[in-house]
Amino acid sequence: MARAELSPLELPYDADPDPDEVVRAAMRWHFSPETGTPFWLGRAASLEFDPLTDVKCYDDLRLFPNVANELRDVPAADLVPRGYGKHPDIVGVYESGGTTGAPKRVVCPRDWLEKLVDWSNANLDVHGFPRGVDWLGITPSGPHIVGEIFRRSAVTHGRYGFQVDLDPRWVKRLIADGKAAQADAYAEHVVDQAADILRTQPIGVMTVTPPLLDRIAQREDLVELINEKVGAIRWGGTQMDADTEQLYRTEIFPDTALYGHYGSTMILGIAGQRHGTPLGEPCVFDTFAPYITFQVVEPETGRPVEYGRRGQVVMHHVSKALLLPNNLERDTAVRVAAPAGSIGDSAAGIAPVERFDNEAVIEGVY
Amino acid sequence: MGTMTQTPPQETPPPGVPVLDALGPSGAYRTRNRQEVRDVTGAVMAELCLAPALFVNRTMKALRGASALPAAQRAAALARAGELFRTATLGGMTVQEYEAAVTRVSGLPISVVRTATKTCAERVGQSYRSVQLACPAGAVSDWRDPLARTGQAVWTRRGDVLAVHVPGNHPGTHGFWPEALALGYRVAVRPSAREPFTAHRLVLALREAGFGDDQVALLPCGHDAADAIVRGADLAYGGDEIIRRYADDPGVLSLRPGRSKILLTADTEWREHLDMIVDSVVRHGGSGCVNATAILVEGDPAPLAGAVAERLAALPSLPPNDERACLPVQQSKAARALETYVLERAQGTRAWLGGTGFVDELGDGSAVLRAAVHQLDGADAPQLGAELPFPCVWIAPWGRADGIAPLRDTLVLTAVTQDEALVDALVEEPTISNLHIGSHATHWHRPGLPHDDYLGDFLMRSKTLVRV
Repeated sequence: MARAELSPLELPYDADPDPDEVVRAAMRWHFSPETGTPFWLGRAASLEFDPLTDVKCYDDLRLFPNVANELRDVPAADLVPRGYGKHPDIVGVYESGGTTGAPKRVVCPRDWLEKLVDWSNANLDVHGFPRGVDWLGITPSGPHIVGEIFRRSAVTHGRYGFQVDLDPRWVKRLIADGKAAQADAYAEHVVDQAADILRTQPIGVMTVTPPLLDRIAQREDLVELINEKVGAIRWGGTQMDADTEQLYRTEIFPDTALYGHYGSTMILGIAGQRHGTPLGEPCVFDTFAPYITFQVVEPETGRPVEYGRRGQVVMHHVSKALLLPNNLERDTAVRVAAPAGSIGDSAAGIAPVERFDNEAVIEGVY
Repeated sequence: MGTMTQTPPQETPPPGVPVLDALGPSGAYRTRNRQEVRDVTGAVMAELCLAPALFVNRTMKALRGASALPAAQRAAALARAGELFRTATLGGMTVQEYEAAVTRVSGLPISVVRTATKTCAERVGQSYRSVQLACPAGAVSDWRDPLARTGQAVWTRRGDVLAVHVPGNHPGTHGFWPEALALGYRVAVRPSAREPFTAHRLVLALREAGFGDDQVALLPCGHDAADAIVRGADLAYGGDEIIRRYADDPGVLSLRPGRSKILLTADTEWREHLDMIVDSVVRHGGSGCVNATAILVEGDPAPLAGAVAERLAALPSLPPNDERACLPVQQSKAARALETYVLERAQGTRAWLGGTGFVDELGDGSAVLRAAVHQLDGADAPQLGAELPFPCVWIAPWGRADGIAPLRDTLVLTAVTQDEALVDALVEEPTISNLHIGSHATHWHRPGLPHDDYLGDFLMRSKTLVRV
């Protein structure tokens, strides 16, 4: 088949299709009886609009309800578009972290993951990640998609991927139960395993979460090893504030490329840090548009906040693999203009809501 | 597209507002992440740099790696720090500017703040001497002491690094933690976000006086990083909500509510002590843990309540920077929240003052917290221990049948009584921290005396040492 005839859903990562055409093609794909997704075909009856005729452009995605919560108990097989055939090439079923209740589930076909990783690898080149080196991943290996993205990045951009497993749900549970000492011990156990790999293998790239990188930075010997061997660190999973990033870039790992991911299993992927953010500025995350897009909105009205203002992040995924528009995330971010020619918003300064001191009346003068 | 910018306006500090830096192991550390410090009218006074956990962890490590100054230098540096705190220009602020800033954000009357400066300076200056008083009589503080030749207890630190989470109610609370420096601890201080000026000034004074940047640090920060301060220290001490979360940890000393009280038995004439009673309620703007929360009187409490209310009603409502101010001021919203809370809490009591409210708006966004006096039916009324950061006193009848139960959980108890058997019981009651017998106001204190036990009892232990 000639490239010109490919559906906008099947183009290579750098093809730059028209976003509205992608949306229309996705509606045809997910809502046609032959190719459609059982979940959406069943759900269509309860929609107050016809996706095939009413959703003509990217902005019309707002017609869709946020169905993310339904993904807690939909059978995974119902999320696979029939168009993938009787034996779809599925890489895996992935789950959200379960922070806001029972985990939500998505299914990842191979063609999507390959496209995403191609896009991500191009980003790594921009950020100066060395090619062909060995990777160390201190991330969950499953059930979250980050483990699969790590493995595929390691073998396509690098050479071998060494992994240390991490169970974030267990850590959250320990902390919720007030077992901070156990959470500490678990984290140190994870770092010990990473240390062994760092000492014995020629690791050139590291993938890690910010809290674990903080722990690693407390060990002088590991800081030395990383400065000696590791050319680039990719972080993700939780946010890293601009002050922390600056400390790494200036004091702790001054010669190592530092590049962040802001991802979610629910978008089957990640947004990548924009290159060239000045020191001390919060990093900006650009999405893999038009397939993955963000909007930064006022939580009460759903309307976009002004550029430069903080709002809540809404994520959309529109691809052959998955249709999940209007997923309101818990995170807040500052709305930044997307790169020229791209749609949706970019997001900076990702943060959970935190207050320093509360104003509630507490008896006692301390 | 000129309006699109990567630098969000609301995240950018307003120009011209002073910035209070964190003070780390390599000096001042200015962060992008900051918290506004507002005065009682709601105006932004300053911005407080919030250190990230990574910086906190590195600082705690640096403190642990540092060695303490030799004892003689510690004593000299503390004496000098007290003097600098009281007189010097530190961080670009004269002492007058510092006192004005504390007055504006805390709402404490300027005269109270000035007194606190002197008290705090005196405590810091004498802290080396003060801690020696906590040393057990059987112990020496140096293994070279000749007594160790024949076997001796030696007083040693329980750890090397202390975390201090300072409450923001009153600048005087800072007078005690430098005792840890006197004992050779390295100290990380997390200031209150409400009033960070005192902690900032004191750490600057200590550094200027000779303590190294890796011996005393100032780490303003959010909750996650605040946890890292506690975890990175051997021991922690303080009165904020982070400390309360660790209250069951034997390595954490929690400043508890004062619930200070006055007891007047029937063998005394309360009218002779009215000055002392009113002073105990209202000194320091009524904001301290040593202010009287409750008065128990043997006999009918009504005449006493009436007399106290009459005195307190006469106090003027003034902005905190007025020389004659004596009542605390807060932002109106916070004051109203407090008022609602107290009125709710006071239901079923007889109000002598402030029964329909005690908030007096000043018209600039701030409000005076006027005094409140409530009479309770009995010494077992649940309101008795309700301690609030303004002159708010609960007056109850007390009888011999009540015993000492209503007097428990008290930081300072002033007992005006001739009954020595009762005094015996009060001295022996473990939950009464300090006892003033006779007409000494609850806030009476002198350097060298314990506040809520000696801090040294928490920071130190004794071990047997024998040299051949």
